[in-house]
Amino acid sequence: MLLEKCKSEKSTKNGETMNNEVVDLNLAEPTIFRQWTLFMENRGIINFDSSETRVIDSTIGIFDDSDRLIATGSSSGNILKYIAVSDDESYTGLFNSIVSTLVSRLAQRGIFHVFVFTNPEHMASFEFVGFKKVAQTDFIVLLENGDQTIESYLQSLPRIEGNPKIAGIVMNANPFTQGHRYLVEQALLQNDFVYVFVVSADYSLFNSQERYDLVKKGLSDLSSRVIIVAGGDYIISAATFPAYFLKSNENTIEYQSELDAQIFKERIAKALGISSRFLGSEPFSKTTGIYNRVVQETLEPDINVHIVERKKNDGRYVTATEVRKAIKNNKIDSIEKLVPDSTYDFIKSNLGRLQNRIERGMNINGN
Amino acid sequence: MEIENTALAGTLESSDIQIMISKGDGKITIELESDVKKEFGDEIESVIKQTLAASNIESAKVKAVDKGALNCVIRARTLTAANRALGIADKPSWEVL
Amino acid sequence: MAENTEERLRRTMMFVPGNNPAMLKDAGIYGADSIMFDLEDAVSLAEKDAARILVYEALTTQNYGDAELVVRINGLDTPFWENDVTAMVKAGIEVIRLPKTESASMLEQLENKIIEVENNFGIPVGTTHMMAAIESAKGVLNAVEIANASDRMIGIALSAEDYTTDLKTHRYADGKELEFARNMILNAARSAEIAAFDTVFSNVDDVEGFMRETNFVHQLGFDGKSLVNPRQIPMVNEVYAPTRKEILHAKSVLAAIEDARIKGSGVISMNGQMVDRPVALRAQRVMKLAKASGLVDEDGVLLG
Repeated sequence: MLLEKCKSEKSTKNGETMNNEVVDLNLAEPTIFRQWTLFMENRGIINFDSSETRVIDSTIGIFDDSDRLIATGSSSGNILKYIAVSDDESYTGLFNSIVSTLVSRLAQRGIFHVFVFTNPEHMASFEFVGFKKVAQTDFIVLLENGDQTIESYLQSLPRIEGNPKIAGIVMNANPFTQGHRYLVEQALLQNDFVYVFVVSADYSLFNSQERYDLVKKGLSDLSSRVIIVAGGDYIISAATFPAYFLKSNENTIEYQSELDAQIFKERIAKALGISSRFLGSEPFSKTTGIYNRVVQETLEPDINVHIVERKKNDGRYVTATEVRKAIKNNKIDSIEKLVPDSTYDFIKSNLGRLQNRIERGMNINGN
Repeated sequence: MEIENTALAGTLESSDIQIMISKGDGKITIELESDVKKEFGDEIESVIKQTLAASNIESAKVKAVDKGALNCVIRARTLTAANRALGIADKPSWEVL
Repeated sequence: MAENTEERLRRTMMFVPGNNPAMLKDAGIYGADSIMFDLEDAVSLAEKDAARILVYEALTTQNYGDAELVVRINGLDTPFWENDVTAMVKAGIEVIRLPKTESASMLEQLENKIIEVENNFGIPVGTTHMMAAIESAKGVLNAVEIANASDRMIGIALSAEDYTTDLKTHRYADGKELEFARNMILNAARSAEIAAFDTVFSNVDDVEGFMRETNFVHQLGFDGKSLVNPRQIPMVNEVYAPTRKEILHAKSVLAAIEDARIKGSGVISMNGQMVDRPVALRAQRVMKLAKASGLVDEDGVLLG
């Protein structure tokens, strides 16, 4: 969107404080949506895939005196996205206004810990307004701001004294199966302790609390050597990863996986003394296959990566997908051997609720 | 008094300061971001501390992003954040003003 | 009418958003006769507490020179106004402006709260002045009782946005829709010997329209205008500046008064005519305007 120079100069003439109001943008209105996308396309943001835009909770904007959009920003959960401001230098403070308003509004909703995924070239702008870098790849930097930090998260986790051999495993466990347990057991064969990070993002059939509880119960007999923790905001889930600022949609999973691995390597593993990472092999899912490959490439050589052949039951791989399908098809007898008793009991006593979630549209084919 | 809940006040606009107050660990800790931290960092932090002391707050974590705020603005934003965190924004202690 | 406020110049009342530190900081540098800190429309619901504290801190620490300091509080129909009054009276604000005033009883309600707070903080009762913004047909028709509601009153103001909506019209460039309200408010103010403030002219870029409207309300007799942009201040002052002829006349009147004082004469006369109180007051006002406009020096000597 072109800005007339003379017009914009008038708004900031003689150092007069510009008083253009921050307003809500109703993206459901096609005219506004078009103005919004055009403005961002001119600043290099071109991805308006519905997977990105439909999860937006709120979008704000600033218009100049001629009703031209000169700044915008959105939020989705605790993630700021689609932040763009006019590069006309006669406007000052637009970026700060947008970020400030988004952060204040989230605070009003009780969200005080805020993230932004952006190009490394924009990192400094966010640092000037109080954001701190969590981790970075060549293409993406993750920054956070608020009443918690990755340091405070890591400090809150149980530490292991001495100099033992420690492995890490990340699982969504939707739900926890004998396959997950087998992976933990394999890691224990070669390590003194294992940290199990349970993905916290809530986009699965089993919610994060249920998944965490079932992991805990399913590994309770190993609790002297297994430390189960919630991954919090630092295990980057494909479900919440914003890809809008990337030039192409195609490699999203690779970008996301690399960032996730980078956080694990630079922050989590360093703080907790983790020297190896265990992953389950992926015979079916292309997505998980890419994830495994990228994680291995990123972590090694600093961290040893072990991709463990999946556990089989009667010649078939044990997968959580199989379990979810059985729930959907009301055939839970068939999965009794695939999951620990604790998981099986939970499914049995909550079968109606789980099936209800599937009927209401919960996708069961992902992870 | 101790801060139990997180609260935010102020903006990132020029001449303002954004103050986030959250639960502390028995004392007042301040993390300050400012273009003039070298010259005025101590003064900004001392204004924040005095304001919290006036509200009898002894334990809090404060995150401040300064955009060139005057002392009166620093006091106002700190007090607003403290009142919000204490849940008394609608019935503030007038003696503290 | 509040004491000692009669001759105060109130040509310009500049609105300053209450939650904007940059504008609060600079509010004193533009030479407005009155500065109105806004806790009402310029502040979003979630920031009412923040703006109240910020304005309090600004009022108690910043130097705004000779400007009369006014705060527009939130309306009596909101949960904010009592806290607004408490903080502002404690801060020592000169004038509290009540929005959406429709009756004298609303000002009574405000005054009772002010008295309570003045007592609580050991401020002499009566210190805090009041003014009313009239924003509805009902308010316009009750302008006389509103203007005369209390000894604390220093002025009434027309607020045209809400008023024209209430009338089922909107604002036009020629301002014909405001004629009745302007005359009502002006006459009500004069009947109570308080100031009359005209409404804001919000299109900052329309200088010609602004000057036309300012000249018109000056002609009607308004004390001044409410403003949203400091760039409008010198324009208003220009309209309100007395002519050289008016200044010379005023100086003659004041000289005649001084002459009578020295001679101990009970009757003041000039050019064979008696100088009565309105003539004397007018002369004082002209000299005050002349000084404020930089047309005479402190001693009343014509400049330029």
